[in-house]
Amino acid sequence: MAEYTFRIFRYDPEKDEQGRVQDYTFEVQEGWTILDALNHIKWFIDGTLTYRRACRHGICGSCGMTINGKNNIACETQIKDLGTSTITIEPLRGFPVIKDLVVNMEPFYDKLYAVKPYLITRTPPPTDRERYQSPEDRAKLDGKYECILCGCCTSSCPTYWADKNFLGPNALLKASKFMLDSRDEGFEDRVNCIDDKHGIWRCHTIFNCVEACPKELNPTKGIVELRRLMMRGRL
Amino acid sequence: MLERPNVIKHYRWHMGTWAWVLHRITGLALVFYLVLHIWVIHNISSGPKGFDKVMGVVQAPLFLFLELGLLGCVLYHTFNGLRIMIVEFSKEGCEAHKMVWGAMMAVAGFLFLLGGVPMFVHFLHSIAG
Ligand code: HEM
Ligand code: SF4
Ligand code: SF4
Ligand code: FES
Repeated sequence: MAEYTFRIFRYDPEKDEQGRVQDYTFEVQEGWTILDALNHIKWFIDGTLTYRRACRHGICGSCGMTINGKNNIACETQIKDLGTSTITIEPLRGFPVIKDLVVNMEPFYDKLYAVKPYLITRTPPPTDRERYQSPEDRAKLDGKYECILCGCCTSSCPTYWADKNFLGPNALLKASKFMLDSRDEGFEDRVNCIDDKHGIWRCHTIFNCVEACPKELNPTKGIVELRRLMMRGRL
Repeated sequence: MLERPNVIKHYRWHMGTWAWVLHRITGLALVFYLVLHIWVIHNISSGPKGFDKVMGVVQAPLFLFLELGLLGCVLYHTFNGLRIMIVEFSKEGCEAHKMVWGAMMAVAGFLFLLGGVPMFVHFLHSIAG
């Protein structure tokens, strides 16, 4: 057991003009994650603390937040691994704060919907089986489909901070997942959206998104693959 | 809703953030240098008086010292620019971007020493008399 201080961003829309910082100091048990610490605060110290969580094992994507200045999901961040006894926890930056650690994810989902994140087909499927995809073509989607929509990537992107119309790493990774899927026939439906100054060409390959992604995906790779796809089309 | 929440801690910088910030700073420094360069070539061809004026500036010890910085800017911007291109166009560059950066910086560092040492010696001579 060791004592930790959690410096947590607090904002109550009914009382506060601006966010404030509240410290909570208590003993943490071996093996606790940041989510365990937040639960401890909410259940035993201060029931007003508000944050999102659901699955508590890294699959629902609810608990994205900025921990010690870096985005991650709270339920997969081991307190011990952070290496500091004072830990700051802030809402995902780049999004408006609703309350405490809860941000408005609408702008994030809007970008996702804009790239039409579903399989688009024109030809009818075979009647006796599913659409065929070779193991090789399927392997091309590795690292593109595992996203849990936690928002850590887009919220960490300096380009997104500066340009709120930028589609951002998440939506562009999704776009690459479908545009590079051998079964997809929706190129025309997506191209105008991504081939835009707020689309793939906006990214400066800063790799903040790659550092942030809790699923260790590489949105930058998806973006440069789409750029190559567009360039090949032009040559 | 709080549109612009105050920040407790700055977002953590990693290699990619540094690489990008330095790229922009050196890029802008080069644009500034380009203006200076145009001033130099404009005046140097305007006769003996202009020539002397320009030489008075570019041979001054301070300028010789700043040229070391120019060399650094050019080398960093060029080799990080190459890194960006490798990341964009090669198949594996995006995953190995840290290694590519390391390799590029090693080459840039070597060239900086190669060019910088004689330049620094020249600068020392200029202040010695
Ligand atoms: C061999 C020479 C050069 C190479 C390989 C190179 C490469 C690049 C690349 C790849 C970028 C895009 C960076 C990004 O996406 O963020 C860039 C940006 C830039 N370059 Fe260069 N460049 C070179 C020379 C120059 C020169 C001579 C100047 C100035 C006159 C310059 C000024 C800039 C500026 C101002 C930017 C914008 C910086 C930014 O967007 O962050 N570059 N360069
Ligand atoms: S690599 Fe591109 S998308 Fe990812 S954080 Fe950087 S600018 Fe944003
Ligand atoms: S790409 Fe990674 S960081 Fe971005 S939303 Fe998906 S899981 Fe989260
Ligand atoms: S609670 Fe589901 S990802 Fe953390």
